[in-house]
Amino acid sequence: MKKLLTGLIAGASVLFVSSIGFSAPSDDTFVVGLPTDTKGLEPAQISSRHTANIMKHMFGTLFFISEKGTLDPNLAESYSVSDDAKEYTFVLKDGLTCHDGEALTAEDVAYTFNRVVDPELAFVGNSAGFVFPSIDFQSARADSELEVTIVMGAPNHVALGLISEVYVHCKDSYEKMSKEEAAENPIGSGAYEFVKWDKGSQIVMKKVANSAVPANFENLIWRVIPEASTRTAELIAGNVDMITNASPDQVDVIDASSTAKVQKVSGTRRMYVGFHQGEEYAVTEGGKAIQKSEVRRAIQYAVDVEAICANLLNAPCERATGLVNPNNAHPTLKPYPYNPEIAEYLLDQAGYPRDANGVRFEITLEAGQGRYLNDKNVVLAICQYLDDIGVKTTCDIMDWSSVYVPKIRKKEAGPMFFLGSGGGTWNPLYDMSDLATVESGPNYTKWDNPEWFKGWKVINNSMDPFVIRREIDRMLEVFYNEGPWLLLYFQPDFYGVSNRVKWQERRDEEVDIFDASLR
Amino acid sequence: MNNNALKKNELIDNFNNKKSSKYINFFKSLFSYKWAVVSIIWLIIIINTAIFANIISPHDPNRNNIMERVAPPLAQDKQGNIKYLIGSDGLGRDSFTRLLYGARVSLIVGFASVFVGGFIGISLGMIAGYYGKLTDDVIMRLADIQLAFPFILLAILFLVVLGEGLINLILVLGIGQWVTYARIARAQTISQKEKEYVEAAKALGESHTSIIFGSILPNILAPLIVIASFNVASVILAEASLSFLGLGVPHNIPTWGAMLAESRDHIFAKRWWLPFFPGMAILITVLAFNIIGDWLRDYLDPRLKEVE
Amino acid sequence: MFIYILRRLPQTILVIFGVTLITFIALQIGGDPTYLFVSERASAEEIELTRIKLGFDRPLYIQYFSYLFNIMRLDFGDSLYYRQPAMDVILETLPATIELTLFAMFIAIFGAIPFGIFAAIKRGTWIDGALMAVAMLGQSIPSFWLGIMSIIYLSLPISWLPISGHVPFLMPIFQGNFIEGIKNFPTTCLYLILPGFAVAFYSLSRNARLIRSSMLEVLSQDYVRTARAKGLSEYAVVINHAMRNAWLPVVTIIGLEFGFMLSGVVVVEVIFAWPGLGRLVFDSISHRDIPLVQASVVVIALIVIILNLIVDLVYAKLDPRIKLS
Repeated sequence: MKKLLTGLIAGASVLFVSSIGFSAPSDDTFVVGLPTDTKGLEPAQISSRHTANIMKHMFGTLFFISEKGTLDPNLAESYSVSDDAKEYTFVLKDGLTCHDGEALTAEDVAYTFNRVVDPELAFVGNSAGFVFPSIDFQSARADSELEVTIVMGAPNHVALGLISEVYVHCKDSYEKMSKEEAAENPIGSGAYEFVKWDKGSQIVMKKVANSAVPANFENLIWRVIPEASTRTAELIAGNVDMITNASPDQVDVIDASSTAKVQKVSGTRRMYVGFHQGEEYAVTEGGKAIQKSEVRRAIQYAVDVEAICANLLNAPCERATGLVNPNNAHPTLKPYPYNPEIAEYLLDQAGYPRDANGVRFEITLEAGQGRYLNDKNVVLAICQYLDDIGVKTTCDIMDWSSVYVPKIRKKEAGPMFFLGSGGGTWNPLYDMSDLATVESGPNYTKWDNPEWFKGWKVINNSMDPFVIRREIDRMLEVFYNEGPWLLLYFQPDFYGVSNRVKWQERRDEEVDIFDASLR
Repeated sequence: MNNNALKKNELIDNFNNKKSSKYINFFKSLFSYKWAVVSIIWLIIIINTAIFANIISPHDPNRNNIMERVAPPLAQDKQGNIKYLIGSDGLGRDSFTRLLYGARVSLIVGFASVFVGGFIGISLGMIAGYYGKLTDDVIMRLADIQLAFPFILLAILFLVVLGEGLINLILVLGIGQWVTYARIARAQTISQKEKEYVEAAKALGESHTSIIFGSILPNILAPLIVIASFNVASVILAEASLSFLGLGVPHNIPTWGAMLAESRDHIFAKRWWLPFFPGMAILITVLAFNIIGDWLRDYLDPRLKEVE
Repeated sequence: MFIYILRRLPQTILVIFGVTLITFIALQIGGDPTYLFVSERASAEEIELTRIKLGFDRPLYIQYFSYLFNIMRLDFGDSLYYRQPAMDVILETLPATIELTLFAMFIAIFGAIPFGIFAAIKRGTWIDGALMAVAMLGQSIPSFWLGIMSIIYLSLPISWLPISGHVPFLMPIFQGNFIEGIKNFPTTCLYLILPGFAVAFYSLSRNARLIRSSMLEVLSQDYVRTARAKGLSEYAVVINHAMRNAWLPVVTIIGLEFGFMLSGVVVVEVIFAWPGLGRLVFDSISHRDIPLVQASVVVIALIVIILNLIVDLVYAKLDPRIKLS
């Protein structure tokens, strides 16, 4: 009896141990470690880069925009523009299907676009809140089986790129689902189909046989690992192939390990401190001060951006000269150097000398935390630089999503606020569209300098690239001298990549796993 | 008359003996429990640190200097003088200064929340024990309700709605502990209220309030102080956890918990000094309060049934 | 026994009422709660509409009873962040936390027993001192620090020890998929080891000290001396006689323990990427997703209350003296 019992226990133990699944990914699987989960899997409601990156593997768009601005076919193979430049007609590839088998035709694309602005569904997010207003979307219609036309209210040089940010799905499947169901049960059109979403834990995808776009790995798993040290540990242990947002302080550890490396890339996100120009902020002394361009210019000299990059971001950088990414920026403007003596001199000249306590004026700098790379520390450092030249700064760091974002959206953050704005490398106008009109959503400083805004008329009414570029440069000079941004840096991105795989990072925070492969 | 005089002398003798033997017993017990002595010494050290932090600190706790961030301990400046005794943190702020100032917060939060919780808990507990019946029932039901809430959830719920801040933190942590005092206070009051001196006071026409807080309270303080000691330890740990969750005090107030939470990313980078010193500060202080609580409980042992 | 349950029931119900009242007050305490339920972009009209839709324009007592009624149907409204019923989100994450907490309680009780008993038997020796020192330390370390340390210094070097993540066991079982659940069980246990210890260590230390002192008390009792006099070995004495009574104090505090452990669970779930209710609470705090925070808190409180009731009943069964009180 005892022998039997011992035998049973031994057998059970062996069974137990052998059935333990180990965590290193297999050869046909690519695992990504993310810091946060996604909100939902509704293609019309994407408000973060994380979610967009996940969705782009499940849903097709009309075209892919590469970093250089070249167009690569995704669901569409060609396009044409109407004479008044307000209508873009796309020709879809033949034989496309959605993941439930339904054929993907022009009717579905038109349905996708019109659904975004369906008042009953009331979507917010990138499509409804940024893309559609930017192109002044009017309507979408299917002209034939494979031809779909998007109608805009006015010509727009970056329309193609913006339209390509919309994720396409089929009509029948989404008509049947309620808004809540759609957020959990995505039926896609892209290279990978949805397998499951273990909330808070992982999203699993599987390659489809006949996708419009090729992909290497059979399975794609997006794991949610909120704690930075844990993410790094999983990378080094080889359980995860790639982590986004490696902490700058852990970059050296990863590089020193034999299992992974950090791929550093100079990103395209413009980081800046906004100087609020609205009248409502001209009531405090500080608020009034920063509405003078001389004061803003003085403050530019006060912050050592390069020290911030080198020390806090572990990535040497060159300070921005404007809001456009370096490859498209003004050709000759030099970044403001760090020179506190000049800053102090200019402030004296502007009429703000130091008083008996050494203070020139007081001001508040608002920021959210946890959204950008080392944001809290960067903001605290900036406040210290300002303190050092006599601008007594109250650093008000608040919760990002629930307190700061609403303030920003209502354009009520200020008088100074720290923010990052996603950019691109394929066209300077994309970067500049933050300030396309005074009422533009992203014009959080409520800047209204006519010298800048009159340039848009010239640009939009010209087809001559030489004229356009000249006007762009003129506008960028205005921005440099009197703009509403304390110029900082372009946020670097750190991707920790396992030595098991080969993966090419992009500068614009987009993550493409399609071409990743085993080493 | 003679008998009375004898009795009186006896009583006085007994009283004197009791008094001196009380003190002797106290110190005998203390010194036999050597760790308690060490703990009390530590307590004295950090109380003084907290009080004199701004005098003994070499730097400003909030002044950051990113060029000199994460300097290791005993880092020197260009003249060869030691600039950062135990190193600098991720923003170049002097860890030693922040450690000293952190003692302030830990102690203030610790003692203040115990005061708040103790005040509420002892009052309610004594009232429940003294009046009994309905009052007792109501108060004990309140206690049950409170206990149903895992402490941190209560803290989270109220801090999220009310926002962060030192006062809010003290209030939340204080209200979270009242039940621990209430239960003991109630049990002790119940056993005390049958005693002679209470009868005597009642006979003399003293008001209930003065009986409860004047006569009974001093006699039941002992076990309550034991609880208080353990609770200070718990509160210091709780502050660390709340800082980790981002619900602690605002960023311009240095606390040990926040220092520990900020050191998370650096542990991997082998900057051991960043988690080590605040971690040790928390560890030793919490340990000290636990040891003192233990010793006090043993010292008062015969008079207690169960105290945890 | 049955009468005891009957007597305890109204008490329990009262406590449940109290819990809901407290969460209701918490919501109202910051002013007009409508702002907690609308997304960031809401216009003034939208806010007004939401206020009416959610009933915040009604008198407070009506609001409370309506809220209570909803809770009884387990309707907590919709999560702002996930845009689905809060209860659904909670039910998805609850099994993972139950796994973690049960495992931690298991360790905290059954791990502490040998610890405490051994220390009691070896009382006065250096073994006792060492064990108690470790226990004291265990009550003085913040659990998140313990968690991060164990990841870096234990799970990284030990390759078979997982670092983070979760393999579901209870969830498939609840969904009726027994085969998958059983298949996953060993892996789930492996993943439970480190986070379970991180959660349990504080309680384990405390229980060990409790068991030790309760053991010491029992060991000095008459019937034990009699057993010793009869010539029984120390171990026989301990196991046969002393243990039966010694672990009663532990049972008393199990209910409290569960509630207390949940404090550690929130932090540990974040560090070990454990997709449970604690992490959900943490995330919903960051997002200021008040409906979800509130729902989570009420659900957890309800679980603790019910657990306490069960524990009390078990205790009553074990200790006949209680039944009659």
